[in-house]
Amino acid sequence: MKLIDRYVTEVGRHLPLIKGRKDIENELRSTLEDMLEDRAQKAGRASDEAMEIELLKEYGAPQKVAETYNPNPYLIGPRVFPFFVFILKIVFGAVTLGLTIATAIQIMSQSPMSTMELFSMIGKSILNIISACIAAFGNIALVFALIERFAPAADFKMDDKKEWDPASLLKEPEPEDVKIWEPILAIVFTFIAISILNFNRHLIGIYYLDGSEWKVVPLLSEAFFRWLPLMNIGWIAEILLNGMLLRTGRWQVSTRLFSVGIKIFQIAIIALLLSGPSILAITSESLMAGGIADADSAKTLSTLALQGIRIVLGLAIFGTVVDIIKSLYKLVTQRSSGNM
Amino acid sequence: MANTESLENVVLELRRGVIVLAALSQLGTEQYGYSLLKQLADLGLDVDQGTLYPLLRRLEAQGLLESVWKLEEARPRRYYVISAEGKKLLPKLKKEWAGIVSLMGRMLA
Repeated sequence: MKLIDRYVTEVGRHLPLIKGRKDIENELRSTLEDMLEDRAQKAGRASDEAMEIELLKEYGAPQKVAETYNPNPYLIGPRVFPFFVFILKIVFGAVTLGLTIATAIQIMSQSPMSTMELFSMIGKSILNIISACIAAFGNIALVFALIERFAPAADFKMDDKKEWDPASLLKEPEPEDVKIWEPILAIVFTFIAISILNFNRHLIGIYYLDGSEWKVVPLLSEAFFRWLPLMNIGWIAEILLNGMLLRTGRWQVSTRLFSVGIKIFQIAIIALLLSGPSILAITSESLMAGGIADADSAKTLSTLALQGIRIVLGLAIFGTVVDIIKSLYKLVTQRSSGNM
Repeated sequence: MANTESLENVVLELRRGVIVLAALSQLGTEQYGYSLLKQLADLGLDVDQGTLYPLLRRLEAQGLLESVWKLEEARPRRYYVISAEGKKLLPKLKKEWAGIVSLMGRMLA
């Protein structure tokens, strides 16, 4: 029976992380012992190692046996796959469009340039688009794999079994209903922001061609990255919120309050960014050192950038305050209509 | 060669579809996995153990079967029996099956 014990242990090692793994091992052992006994009776002799080997060979490789107990053998299953493709299309489109526009602006700002330089720039842009799409694919696949694992089928149905009524095309959407793609898109973009700002911050900058070599002037200063841990907390909270919205499919009082809390937290972070030193690393010196602009233009550009970013941050606070007011209004109307 | 493979796949698919009904129909009395496997084989339905055991667990998780461990001949065995929920479902499944047989009979006549 030594071999059977080892075989069962080996199957146990490969079993998926499901409830009752020990139970499966015990049942498998009991079945194999029954089968061995059966064979021994038929052969008219006591069971031996050769008989065990023959039995285990027929039963199959431990990995394969363990895999039959996997209730969810997909990384991204058929339940969420259509949305995975939908989000991929949006993100690939946005990435391609964004990088193409960025390249076009660079080409226009760097002209005149030789044909060789032009082709080199276009070639690099295509490579950038491909690598950005691959990175986006990885992030999106990760988000969907997590949804597949942690959003139970009972809570997260794609309405494929619900009877579809053509009259629903005429109906105004309920204000509390969440369109399924909105939280998914929010999660994907938040993941991308987290991964770029935390692990690929060198990518954020102004790119320019110096001779035949690409150089980059960093866009964001240490004053920005000092607050990154706080921003990460805010983004993780955003992912949690969107995960909750995915599960419930509706805005509830708890999710609205959570959302308001996150927005207040975001305002605090923006205020910190606004009150400290400039979050832009662009200075007249860096622009001149990169040969992007001469002394006068560099000074004007850096002053404009400094003022511009303050206006952008101010607008971000204003926009977030408006969002909070809207959320609170919806919360009050939702409560007064008894829709908890 | 390709034809034989296709035939095997289709037959496998057809059989897979009836295993739930076959298992539920035979579990009116308590049986452990291997005894059920042998009983189905004796009746002419060969089911792979890699199919039957996960299926029994799934049916139990769906509330259609109940199971209990018993110690017999110094060997613990997990016995399965149809649950009250399963008993309610079985006649409906049988009716559905009769409908399919009748429909296919007409179609293939």
